[in-house]
Amino acid sequence: MAGASADLLMENALFILGVNHRTAPVAVRERLAYAETEVASALQRLKQATGIAEAALLSTCNRVEVIGVTADPDRAEAQVSAFLAADRAVERAAFTDALYHFNGRDAVRHLFRVGASLDSMVVGEPQILGQLKLAYAQAAEAATVGLILHRAFHKAFQVAKRVRKATLIGHGSVSVSSVAVSLAGQIFDTLGDKTAMLMGAGKMAELTARHLKALGIESLLITSRTFDRAVALARELGGTAVPFENYKPYLRIADILIGSLSVTKPMLAHHDVEAIIRDRKYRPMFMIDLGVPRNFDERLNEIENVYLYDIDDLDAVAQKSLGHREREAEKAEEIVIEEIDAFLKWLAELEIVPTIKDIRVSMERLRDLELTRHRAWLATLEPAERERIEMLTRGLVNKLLHRVMAGLRHHDRSSPEAINTAEVARRLLLESNGTTPDAMDLDDLHEDLIEDSGEDDPI
Amino acid sequence: MITLFLLPALACYAASSAGFIADRARGRTRWTGSAAVALGAGAVFHALDLVARGIQAGNIPVASFAESLSFLAWLIALIALVLIVRLRMAIIGAVILPIVTLASLVALMTMQTARLVLPDSLRSVWLPIHVTLAFLGYSMFVLATAVSLVYLVYESKLKAKRTMRPANSDVPSLEKLDRINYRLLGWGFLMLSLAIISGAIWADATWGHFWNWEPVESWSLVIWILYAALLESRLTVGWRGRRAAALTIVVFTVLVGSYVGMNFAFPGKHGGSFG
Repeated sequence: MAGASADLLMENALFILGVNHRTAPVAVRERLAYAETEVASALQRLKQATGIAEAALLSTCNRVEVIGVTADPDRAEAQVSAFLAADRAVERAAFTDALYHFNGRDAVRHLFRVGASLDSMVVGEPQILGQLKLAYAQAAEAATVGLILHRAFHKAFQVAKRVRKATLIGHGSVSVSSVAVSLAGQIFDTLGDKTAMLMGAGKMAELTARHLKALGIESLLITSRTFDRAVALARELGGTAVPFENYKPYLRIADILIGSLSVTKPMLAHHDVEAIIRDRKYRPMFMIDLGVPRNFDERLNEIENVYLYDIDDLDAVAQKSLGHREREAEKAEEIVIEEIDAFLKWLAELEIVPTIKDIRVSMERLRDLELTRHRAWLATLEPAERERIEMLTRGLVNKLLHRVMAGLRHHDRSSPEAINTAEVARRLLLESNGTTPDAMDLDDLHEDLIEDSGEDDPI
Repeated sequence: MITLFLLPALACYAASSAGFIADRARGRTRWTGSAAVALGAGAVFHALDLVARGIQAGNIPVASFAESLSFLAWLIALIALVLIVRLRMAIIGAVILPIVTLASLVALMTMQTARLVLPDSLRSVWLPIHVTLAFLGYSMFVLATAVSLVYLVYESKLKAKRTMRPANSDVPSLEKLDRINYRLLGWGFLMLSLAIISGAIWADATWGHFWNWEPVESWSLVIWILYAALLESRLTVGWRGRRAAALTIVVFTVLVGSYVGMNFAFPGKHGGSFG
């Protein structure tokens, strides 16, 4: 129980153990993953089985991680991985190679990076923050978060917010279909009064159509060489199938035209499209060519108010977008590093020895105060009586302090439980001095969660 | 006359310009809110300046070139504020605020210190009506032109596939720019029409003729016909987008050309002012 090692231990108390998309294939991740409803009970089992002080479980399609607090990180690693193997009925050999284990500074860094979407498969994607908030809420519900995790998560959310605000990491699009949809948003103000027409029902065209549908496109026409396929997709997406022999008249109502047919030569003649545009009273037409070979002649792009992007154009935009995210990610990493130091400083200050000292000082001050208050009366007493009262009050303070200290020392001095108890003692016995962490309201968190599910980027 | 409020107005406009331009250059919206507030503050100071002058003149303060320019700049600032705040068109701030700032600066520097008095023939209740309508029309045309410039820049980027703005920055879509251009032209045209009518009624009351074929009158008729044709082409053949934007700029160039020509070649009743 050497005081000198205490703060070293505190700084190491946080640990993270898990697998992610880089270390483990989906075949492994899916076996370790927990469904949303299983998390709370799993956390309680985990706490019972391993005896770690605090724990949270983050399970998404790209990662399964246990975030915990313990006095003994090495033992916790073995215990938690054994627990995962047993609880998920997966043999340990199947995932030990994929397992990463961080503690102390590295764990804090990892948590912050995950929250800021720097560890995501698509860097900057926004869903992870919502997932992390959910993990926190579940752990709070299972009552497995204590002071340290509470603060760590809280801080991770703050870091994520700061990164999002100070960098452009969440901007830009990445997949071909999301690029196509984002371009549509640059041409059209709203999709609510627009019609998209799919020529060919390829996978990527379908995905693009789904994006458009999600953004509220008014109507969707689908034509395909096999009419049944068009009908099936139209039913699935809530569109209208158009017979392939007779699709041309519909072109003039199509604001967005998505080609994914297999063709040997381009589909539409230059003068046809010119006539269509005149017919449309020059309303813009966005042509998305997902076909290889290409469905539309690239020169159609020269026609007034026609915007034609083929698969390479879309890919180029996507690449540029990712390039800009990489640059932004570097800025974000710097923010994370700054915040780690702030958090570790707080953690190191969470020590018991100063707590005991502080409480003693505070109580002594109270005693002095009371004696001063009665000094007029005390002055009337004999010196021996004054001595007696002095002893009496000191004795009372010592007895009280002894109880508190016994309570604190009941735990291993630098264990997380002791830290929690110390915090409670501080809160109860010291005048408020601003060291208590600002409590995070669960209701606020709940609102955040709802908000996050709304800002779903099309990725 | 002391320009007590025009100086702070100018300072606010300059700050606002800087904010909008800085955001545009970096593709962010960090300063947009503050820039809009600065613009609003500038418009308030500017209004105080105009009111002070109006009280001194006993009528709308458009007795000199500088006063007219100041009044026009104020109207442009007000409409820009509406576009920026109500229609979330921060991009227009980066184009129009430097113009407002420059116009206010020129007005401030050329403002005569001697008190100007309107000739008796112009002292009429029709003066504020006619001038305000005409100036409102011109302000709308100035903004329509700015919107068209932005349209052409974005359109050519999109055509050339050089588009790379972050998806959720607040740059408006082509459709929105085109629609706002159309609305500004429509309102501007309405104001111009009403200005011409009110001018004719006023002329009849003062000189006994509705129309005197003065250079200003003839040219405003030409301008009126050009804007009518511009709106007509959209409604019938559907010239919109790039073509409409380009034509908006062309017609505005004619408008400015005619103004410059008239004021420096044939000063008439309207001379010294914009009308």
